[in-house]
Amino acid sequence: MLRDLVFASLLIIIILALTYLTYSGGLGDLPPRDVRVIASNYLNLTYNQGITWLWAASPEAVTAIVWDYRGLDTLFETVVFYGAILAALTLFRSVSKVPEFVSSAGLSLVVKRVTAIVTLAILAVAASTALHGHLTPGGGFQGGAIASVAPLLLLVVFGKQFFIERRISYSKLLTIRNASLALLGFTSVALLILGFLTGFQAYIFQNQAKIVSTLSYPPYLLDVPLGGSLFFFNLFEFLAVASGFTLVFTILLSRDETLRKELEGEELGY
Amino acid sequence: MDIELIKFMFMLTTISLYFNVAISLYGVVSKTNLVKKLIALTIFQDTVNMFTILIGYKLWRPGLLLQPPVLTDLSPTSETLREFVERSVDPLPQAFVLTAVVIGLAVTLFLTTIILHVSYHFKTVNVDEIGRSKRVYIHEEAV
Amino acid sequence: MMDYVDLVFLIMGISALSSVLFTFLTVKTKDLMYAVVFSSVQSVAYALIYFLLLAPDIVLVYVAVSVGIYPLIIILLIKKVGRYEVVT
Repeated sequence: MLRDLVFASLLIIIILALTYLTYSGGLGDLPPRDVRVIASNYLNLTYNQGITWLWAASPEAVTAIVWDYRGLDTLFETVVFYGAILAALTLFRSVSKVPEFVSSAGLSLVVKRVTAIVTLAILAVAASTALHGHLTPGGGFQGGAIASVAPLLLLVVFGKQFFIERRISYSKLLTIRNASLALLGFTSVALLILGFLTGFQAYIFQNQAKIVSTLSYPPYLLDVPLGGSLFFFNLFEFLAVASGFTLVFTILLSRDETLRKELEGEELGY
Repeated sequence: MDIELIKFMFMLTTISLYFNVAISLYGVVSKTNLVKKLIALTIFQDTVNMFTILIGYKLWRPGLLLQPPVLTDLSPTSETLREFVERSVDPLPQAFVLTAVVIGLAVTLFLTTIILHVSYHFKTVNVDEIGRSKRVYIHEEAV
Repeated sequence: MMDYVDLVFLIMGISALSSVLFTFLTVKTKDLMYAVVFSSVQSVAYALIYFLLLAPDIVLVYVAVSVGIYPLIIILLIKKVGRYEVVT
């Protein structure tokens, strides 16, 4: 009780001090007068057809920064994401091996019919957001997060029997996830391998042609900007994120007895 | 267009975000239920992301309409490009927050599986009771 | 009279104030189902502020994650673990 009071009063003192400092101009002008120099450089270069040795071939600045100008940060972020999902799946690793036989009827008929229509709409919106990531706001992460709502909805409304009948099993989803992550890694070094084979010079995470290397992904598809490697990055990241979240949801939505089997031998060895 | 009103509203947003940080930190530290701690932790993560995007904004001026960092003209002249650079907000904080949101979701899913494990093992999710029963376990093992 | 630009920032200020109210209610209540609902309303206020700060990429991710996935996961957890917060 005393600990709570001390902590609360400490927080109030700090908040009042910060409020006074911000109000009297401690953070500078709020909002700032102009953006930083590095941001105006990136905005100038991202679709500038006059400077084609530094451009990223996509009129969307945020996607170009995430996958081209600062692509290595996104690579490490994907590794952290993979590790977190892997840790969550390892804690319940016996659930994937036990085949479950559930006889659930799901919810009522009206809810089932409406969900069937809405699920198609969710998947269409998610695919459109992910594949147009270089032209409009969107991209791989957004499309994957939207697309992972659809299997969750199907699991709740139709019951686990739906997935078991259609043989969307645990190992199939794991295969999709690992394959799309491997293809993502391959896309980032594809031009490097091509450069080794043909004798030209190339870089890791290279998207368009630079001054010293002439290899590049195609920047236009007939007459619409394709963004080079950004399109492929968005597609593979969409598949990886959607299947990763679906895996965790199928484990968390199992029955209580199946989940408790994971802790079976613990009285003997704690 | 009243510049004083705009600056005051922006300052009000910043100060109310300070209050959000304080309340959610109090919720993480002082509440004894593990699920309540998880909910307060997600609010804390969202507020920190909001701070990052607040920094990338720009001041309105009469005659300067701001725009998000998306170029709408597919074959821009150098005039259009110069206007785009003058008008757009900062795209770098948005790129950082994008990855931060997805990582936050993955870590929350991992924490959910940990809470399930803990509740099956100790039969409670109250932090004080878990501490008490762990002391009993350690005492029994020593004896 | 009030210009269009002033109205935009007025909405931003009001959403920020209402998010403080809903955060306080989330931490204070003892019924965890209410806490989840209040946290979702606070996320809607945050999504409105993100939109007014001209960040459309973030709005897409944030609405799908914070109003769609988090409440579902936490309601699952509440069902398996216990709905009320016991204070001794």
